[in-house]
Amino acid sequence: MRVLGIETSCDETAAAVVGPGRVVLSSVVSSQVDLHARYGGVVPELAGRAHLERLTPVIDEALAAAGPAGHPPVDAVAATCGPGLVGSLLVGLSHAKALAMAWEVPFVGVNHLEGHLFASLLDHRELDWPLVVLLVSGGHTVLVLVEGLGRYRLLGQTLDDAAGEAFDKVARYLGLGYPGGPAIDRVARDGDGRAFAFPRAMRDEGCDFSFSGLKTAVVRSVDKAPGASTEDVAASFQEAVVDVLVAKARRAAATTGARGICLAGGVAANSLLRSRTEEACAEDGIAALVPSMAMCTDNAAMIAAAGQWRLAHGGPSPWSLGAEPNLFLAEAG
Amino acid sequence: MIVLGIESATDLVGAALHREGETVAEVCETGGRRHAEVLAPAIAEVLGRAGVTLGELDAIAVDVGPGLFTGLRVGVATAKGIAQALGTGLVGCTSLETLAAAALDGGWAGPVLAVVDARRGEVFAARYGRGPTGVPVALSTPVRCRPEGIAALVDGATGTLALGDGAVRYRELLADQAGVTLADGTHAHPSPATLASLGARRLAAGAPPLAAIDLQAQYMRGADARINWVRRESVGPADA
Ligand SMILES: [Zn+2]
Repeated sequence: MRVLGIETSCDETAAAVVGPGRVVLSSVVSSQVDLHARYGGVVPELAGRAHLERLTPVIDEALAAAGPAGHPPVDAVAATCGPGLVGSLLVGLSHAKALAMAWEVPFVGVNHLEGHLFASLLDHRELDWPLVVLLVSGGHTVLVLVEGLGRYRLLGQTLDDAAGEAFDKVARYLGLGYPGGPAIDRVARDGDGRAFAFPRAMRDEGCDFSFSGLKTAVVRSVDKAPGASTEDVAASFQEAVVDVLVAKARRAAATTGARGICLAGGVAANSLLRSRTEEACAEDGIAALVPSMAMCTDNAAMIAAAGQWRLAHGGPSPWSLGAEPNLFLAEAG
Repeated sequence: MIVLGIESATDLVGAALHREGETVAEVCETGGRRHAEVLAPAIAEVLGRAGVTLGELDAIAVDVGPGLFTGLRVGVATAKGIAQALGTGLVGCTSLETLAAAALDGGWAGPVLAVVDARRGEVFAARYGRGPTGVPVALSTPVRCRPEGIAALVDGATGTLALGDGAVRYRELLADQAGVTLADGTHAHPSPATLASLGARRLAAGAPPLAAIDLQAQYMRGADARINWVRRESVGPADA
């Protein structure tokens, strides 16, 4: 079954075609990073407007790149229905329903978080369940036990800021620009991660996260030591975030008997998080599933893949499906 | 000519099917702010009632705004989706001219002042007269202004009918205005049937249909540039 996936939950306008056997036939992502950079974060109304302008050509490109097709060109259309920015979600959702209605093919709404779980399936054809998935992005920080496709248990999540949000805020404070993740990653390479002992909130208890105090600690340290090297501050901040993320994922894997730790989301592109996860898994004798760079960021191939599975296991969504800005993963299963 | 009308720029959301000068079916809902939940089922419903498939459409008329940002995007994205899938031509009509068309079609002989509530203490407004083919022609450039500014648009013209949800909301300001008659509440929102009919007449008069990629929303207001840090609790744009 050939599925067209559409993703517009945040600041990437994306479309992709996934064929039988979860083969990615095309995947087009139009990033709005430049549009939001001067604001230091995603501006919802700008994002919604850009999605409406860009989605049609992005879909055209994805369909053309997928190779020769009949009419209709796909057997189903899948679109992210949440969580995300409602004004952005609705563009992709409405466009997807209209395409499906016009082509007379099924339409299915996809949980964006479930999409991220399917991203690892596009990188690794076979997965050995159960897996602990650490999903970290600008909007989310969740730890999930995946017992099999569609069988999820939420172990913990952030109580305040998302990990990616902490990167953006600290990068902005340090004058490193937006998006903060890649900026801090780059600068931190020339810094000493032990220069500052930033707090590791709740590192050794439970599966929930808290990052809001970390930003405050960074600001306070820089105020106290105005001459401190930006590289050292960035490296120490990154060290603190990664230390907490890896410690919690590792403990979650040990207590649940998981066969591996899988990274997902934009922050999974962080070089220290990737190497530390691999080291921890090697020590514990479990698999480290680190996504390719293309599968870290929001894309529509993961939405098409999740939609393909959802259609087979739950059937199509009704035309009345709305956007669910606060959708949680448990609601997907 | 068969034209589907897609309306979701204000509190009213729905669809209508127009065939050879007549409204064959119309489905709409007001006040729920559930644009995406209502629109696609409404389209399926009007097609079913009329026994028409999307493939048989000659064109789609869609309200491109101004109005509710999120609402109008639902309609424009839906119209673009159908047009992209089937190559159907699009005709964009503004919420203001669709309001005016309803009054003119209803027999109002004088000028019409269309006023859409822009929220945050502002309105979108323009004055229209009857064009040669019966469709509205703008007598003033559409503007976004404070409600007190509407008076200047009337500009001494007598027998002006004011309508739209903005006219309803700020009726006290308009009631004192010489030469202005307030419409009853029936024309508070642009309707899918009027929209489809207006689109059909435009095309019949030679307006070139647009491709999906060329249709643009008319917001008439810059984006509110506020960062949304906490997306889990996001409510979207200020007017949604
Ligand atoms: Zn994401």
